[in-house]
Amino acid sequence: MNEQSTSRRQFLQASGGALGAGWLALHWPQLAAAAEHAHAAATGEAPREFKLLTPDEARDVEAIAAQIVPSGDTPGAREAGVVYFVDHIHAGLYAAQANAFRADLAGFQQGVAEAHPEAGPFADLPGPAQLAYLKSIERTPFFDRMRFLTVLGLLALPSYGGNRDKSGWKMVGFVDQHAWEPPFGHYDEDYPGFKPYAKERQS
Amino acid sequence: MSARTFGPNDTVDFIVVGSGAAGGVMARELSQAGFEVLVLEQGPRFTAADFKHDELDHWFNNALLNSPETSPQTFRKTAAGKAERVRDFPSLWYARMVGGSSNHFTANYWRFHEVDFNERSLLGEIGGTSFADWPIDYAELEPYYTKVEWEVGVSGLAGASPFDPPRSRPYPMPPLPVKSSGVLLERGARKLGLHPFPAPMAIASVPYRGRPACAHCGFCIGFGCEMSAKSSTLYTMLPEAEATGRCEVRSESYVFRVDTSDKGRVTGVSYFDGERREHFQKARAVVLCANGAESARLLLMSANAKFPDGLANSSGLVGRNLMFNTYAEVNAVFEHELNEYKSVQVTRIVHDFYDSDPKRGFYGGGGFDSRIGPNPIAWSLFAPPPERAWGAEFKALLEAMPRAMIVATHGTSLPVETNRVDLDPELKDAWGLPAMRVTYKDHPDDLAFSRFMQDRGVEVMQAAGAQQVWKGPVAEAPGSPHLLGTCRMGNDPATSVVDRYHRTHDIPNLFVCDGSSFVTSGRGQPTMTIQALAFRAGEHIAAFARRGEI
Repeated sequence: MNEQSTSRRQFLQASGGALGAGWLALHWPQLAAAAEHAHAAATGEAPREFKLLTPDEARDVEAIAAQIVPSGDTPGAREAGVVYFVDHIHAGLYAAQANAFRADLAGFQQGVAEAHPEAGPFADLPGPAQLAYLKSIERTPFFDRMRFLTVLGLLALPSYGGNRDKSGWKMVGFVDQHAWEPPFGHYDEDYPGFKPYAKERQS
Repeated sequence: MSARTFGPNDTVDFIVVGSGAAGGVMARELSQAGFEVLVLEQGPRFTAADFKHDELDHWFNNALLNSPETSPQTFRKTAAGKAERVRDFPSLWYARMVGGSSNHFTANYWRFHEVDFNERSLLGEIGGTSFADWPIDYAELEPYYTKVEWEVGVSGLAGASPFDPPRSRPYPMPPLPVKSSGVLLERGARKLGLHPFPAPMAIASVPYRGRPACAHCGFCIGFGCEMSAKSSTLYTMLPEAEATGRCEVRSESYVFRVDTSDKGRVTGVSYFDGERREHFQKARAVVLCANGAESARLLLMSANAKFPDGLANSSGLVGRNLMFNTYAEVNAVFEHELNEYKSVQVTRIVHDFYDSDPKRGFYGGGGFDSRIGPNPIAWSLFAPPPERAWGAEFKALLEAMPRAMIVATHGTSLPVETNRVDLDPELKDAWGLPAMRVTYKDHPDDLAFSRFMQDRGVEVMQAAGAQQVWKGPVAEAPGSPHLLGTCRMGNDPATSVVDRYHRTHDIPNLFVCDGSSFVTSGRGQPTMTIQALAFRAGEHIAAFARRGEI
């Protein structure tokens, strides 16, 4: 079953009713766009290549993101391809901020070099040292920006370059279905209906 | 009948500036009353195919909003500070498109209560504020609240809240299906003796007037509705106005000046089209429905030799008394899945703390609701407490998102004259016009009440059996989508900008009707009242025009 027919059936089911079905049939081509856009964006893999970042920059960005959302039993920022998102977004939507971002990244790398003159780049530090260093700069605008970009790279549409195999969405339990019917969750499954309050309260 | 198109030399009966919650209603009421109406909207006209389920584009690229790049704003807390340009996200934000913010709003449609209109008389003066009664009362507005519910389309359950003011008719649609967050809010609140009830929402719960029911897609707050289930004026009021054959909705038409004659009457408006070409359109009268920030800015930008301080500004109050409504969050995580990313934001609300209680030691009233806040990215960025904002604990929190919800609190903002919108002396927008300068500092009582409500929200989540509960920040607001009070309504021309019928005290054929008309802020959900005011104003303005009193 292809994604289009799936989402069409979902819409028909979720909307329901005579007007629902007729209206949907009439408006389908337009209506489908919003959800189809997301489906296409979710299934269309962005290429795994860098448009902006140098290999050294990319390694450090990936290492920082992997501390913000670590890997483990389940995929983290690294497996979600956050570094590709960070690269692509600065070559696209956030192009105006690309120079500032790279300058801040250079400042970060400089700081790491001063703190660990004997070691290589941040990406080569042992995990505990990476964690400790990020802890020391967690109140800086650069770290704040990296956290922001990591979350976006994890959870934005995969066409932006991250959220590989929808691993970010899987992490937060989001399913890109775009039409739902109740019950939505555990607690509304057996809701008995709204019980009115005693009349005397209605003065 | 198809929509009318006016020529450049036509003198229309009314120009309505803005096509949002107020402008849509105004256009429909005046055109259905038999008048020729030209609606000028600065943004584009979207169709269903233009709406996208892309959280990054909508929440972090301002896809629908007034852009900080082209429509920049500056912000400062007090006049003593330097107003700095706001980057990334506007201070005062709205959807810049046909239908305005009624496209992207949450669609909470609370009526005001009686107390919202006469609270100054009930409670007395509050120091440092311009707290005042409205020139109209609830009974006068009630028929128009009912009109909003039926004409625009609101889902809800009449009589469910013991605190609801009197109503002349039930809701036309039943409440939307309850979400798990609503069930949990209700469970906890009832345990504490409170009275949670189904939220009134301007979203179709069943097929209504040619529109289908909500499909519960979950891309709701901050997004336009491609289903047309959200009762935006894009789908409700504006097509009905166009169907009269007397109304044109002209998109990408950015009004930068209301023009006046030597006699002090409005002659028409000047605007830029999509290619930034300048036009002048003549009108017998002009109604500003450009929202509580832009209507004031437009009046100030229209200053001329006869009105050096801006139009309708003899009181000096145009742009002043800006109010936002306070907002705070309580986060909770439960044992089982809620899946709050599905469906509309809000299904249950609590109004037990609606009235201000002097025993608390500060002014304030409001309500709270159950929701998740925006979609997954925004929750991940803003919900986690600082100590769990990154690392293994952050990941654990992200994995708990299906079990998470938010109690959002909504409350009063007191009117303070120094909180205002005016023109930045230096910064210009992309059209070369003065940028909006925002000056805003919450009154201490507003923040005290916000904290009070947050504590009540914590109690409710604990009573509902939450495994984890934590509070979001309560801080002075850097901005808001609730744009209120900047052309306040009143009987006295010395202390208000428009009269009880929304006619400016100074110019007989210039009206202002939107959030700027508010005298007090209400408890947090202004659109319902904005539209009730617009229905009422439309009726009166049409009557004035018929009687030759404009």
